[in-house]
Amino acid sequence: MMLELDSVTHRYDDQPAVEDISFGVEAGELVAVLGPSGCGKTTLVQAIAGHVRPSEGRVRLRGDDVTTDPPEARDVGLVFQEPTLFPHMTVGENVAYGLGPAGVTDPERQVSEYLDLVALDERRSLRPDELSGGQKRRVELARALAPEPDLLLLDEPLSALDRQLREQLRDEISRIHSETGVTTLFVTHDQEEAMALADRLVVMNEGSVAAVGAPRALYERPPNLFVAEFLGRSNTITVDVTGDRAAVELGGTTRQLADESQASPDRAVCHLRPRDLTLESESTAAAVSLSGHVRSVSDLGRRYEVTVELACGDEVVVEQRTEPPAVGDAVRVEASADALSVFTKNGVRLTHETAEPSLQSTAELRVG
Amino acid sequence: MSYASRLTADRSAREALVPAVLGGLLVVYFLIPFVAFLSRTGTANVIEGLSSPGARDAIRNSLLTAPVSTAVATVFGVPLAYVLARRSFPGKRLVEAVVILPLVLPPVVGGAMLLTAVGQFTPLGSTAAALGVPLTNSLLGVVLAQVFVAAPFVIVTARAGFGAVDERLEQASRSLGYGPLATFWHVSLPMARGAIVAGVVLTFARAIGEFGATMMVAYNPRTMPTRIWVEFITGGIDEIIPLAVGLLGITLAVVISIQRIGRVPTVIGR
Repeated sequence: MMLELDSVTHRYDDQPAVEDISFGVEAGELVAVLGPSGCGKTTLVQAIAGHVRPSEGRVRLRGDDVTTDPPEARDVGLVFQEPTLFPHMTVGENVAYGLGPAGVTDPERQVSEYLDLVALDERRSLRPDELSGGQKRRVELARALAPEPDLLLLDEPLSALDRQLREQLRDEISRIHSETGVTTLFVTHDQEEAMALADRLVVMNEGSVAAVGAPRALYERPPNLFVAEFLGRSNTITVDVTGDRAAVELGGTTRQLADESQASPDRAVCHLRPRDLTLESESTAAAVSLSGHVRSVSDLGRRYEVTVELACGDEVVVEQRTEPPAVGDAVRVEASADALSVFTKNGVRLTHETAEPSLQSTAELRVG
Repeated sequence: MSYASRLTADRSAREALVPAVLGGLLVVYFLIPFVAFLSRTGTANVIEGLSSPGARDAIRNSLLTAPVSTAVATVFGVPLAYVLARRSFPGKRLVEAVVILPLVLPPVVGGAMLLTAVGQFTPLGSTAAALGVPLTNSLLGVVLAQVFVAAPFVIVTARAGFGAVDERLEQASRSLGYGPLATFWHVSLPMARGAIVAGVVLTFARAIGEFGATMMVAYNPRTMPTRIWVEFITGGIDEIIPLAVGLLGITLAVVISIQRIGRVPTVIGR
């Protein structure tokens, strides 16, 4: 294990920024730490890099406890959101800066090698302020990588760039990672960026880890409502827990709750992704079928987004590629049973399924 | 010029009128004494006056003490400025107040306070005098007075300079393998260079012109300002013109170098 966080907690003046964070990163892996701004991602990066000493918990690199080691002793490369190239040095000098302490024998060759990696070798004699925003980012990547650190920390490295550049550099980071094989921890608030790049995701919420797992698995089977809503677009419908508080019913599908004690007293939250919903004029054989009428339609070019007010009062968004219905039309919003996830009011997943998402085995389906 | 742009120009001229008048009055007020004073000088008179043995001694003493005071203030003041810009510690507000104190204290009172600390009848002063390094009425006394009064300038200016350096650049340097001291030397210091040099120049100008505290601590040996005072008492305005012009010349050189340094590309304010 290259990096291991063990119950890392940090408080600023009693105000907790991160709480009880534990996860690991294997050598060569690219892991994204994903969470909304203010969830403690940067504090976590600072604790790993050694610029913040956590109030509690341990940070281990290469298996050694480095919690109290200064940053210069950690062999961790760091790239911030805002450019931190040294303005009083040339591009080449910036990249060469970390080579002295790293004890590199032929710094010239290594500077060329890493500037080549980011395709900027011919700019080495320029000053940082003569570079474009994207070039600055790439030089910073080269500077962080040139001393060949054991771990590369990228703290929102693309957030300050415009969309096109962001996507370009995202691909470049992916290429650099596969070429150098450097263990990388990539911090971002952008779920698309995280899912596109990462082997694994660590989703953070309010200073704690909300989930750890492969991007696709977390997207398709979110362990809690926060992850469900943060990874991709979401519709939520609040429903009553029926019967002896052991089942919920939505649009004809009844879900038996596996564990009664998990249910909050009387309400549960049903979660459906806009792209999993279809609009029909008449009820079909779909497992979930809800009636409503169209409130608004927006044309996004490659798809339409249709907002439907359901009979129960909740609004859902449906993505569709074909010609949408008109505003005011009565429609059925339909989905298959496996598109439906149910959470408690507090966002805990109601695990009525076994490990495999074969819903029919445990859920009682009723076609309505 | 289009109607719209003429309108804008008219408006901006109107809006600039009040500050221009207020500021202009102050500039005129600065200039009048300057011109009036210089109009009484004759070149021959100045050179003759500056070459008298007493004046030469004063110039030598001033050019000896002010650079030393500036160096002392810089060597001790810049690290303090860095600590104040970067660290928080208990009692920081108190340290900040102490640094500002000599700036708000009348120099002559500062000099009196220094006397109560290092005067020849105090334990410190008498011990030093017994060892052959008198702290009053000596060049060392002049330096003590100048440092007391002038050092805050370099501290305050350098602190602002360090404050303007993004802390993440220092973190980047640490993560690239440099310890705190090496990071200070390679990153913080060069990046705050413009502000530090401006502070050094201000401190030098203040030190070489120091009179109030110097007079209390070291009336002898004479520096340019103390000699100007003595000559004024004995001979009036015309007597002091040569030394005053000499001091002005040095001060002007200092101001010009501030402006030159101001144009040196620095990262501050970008």
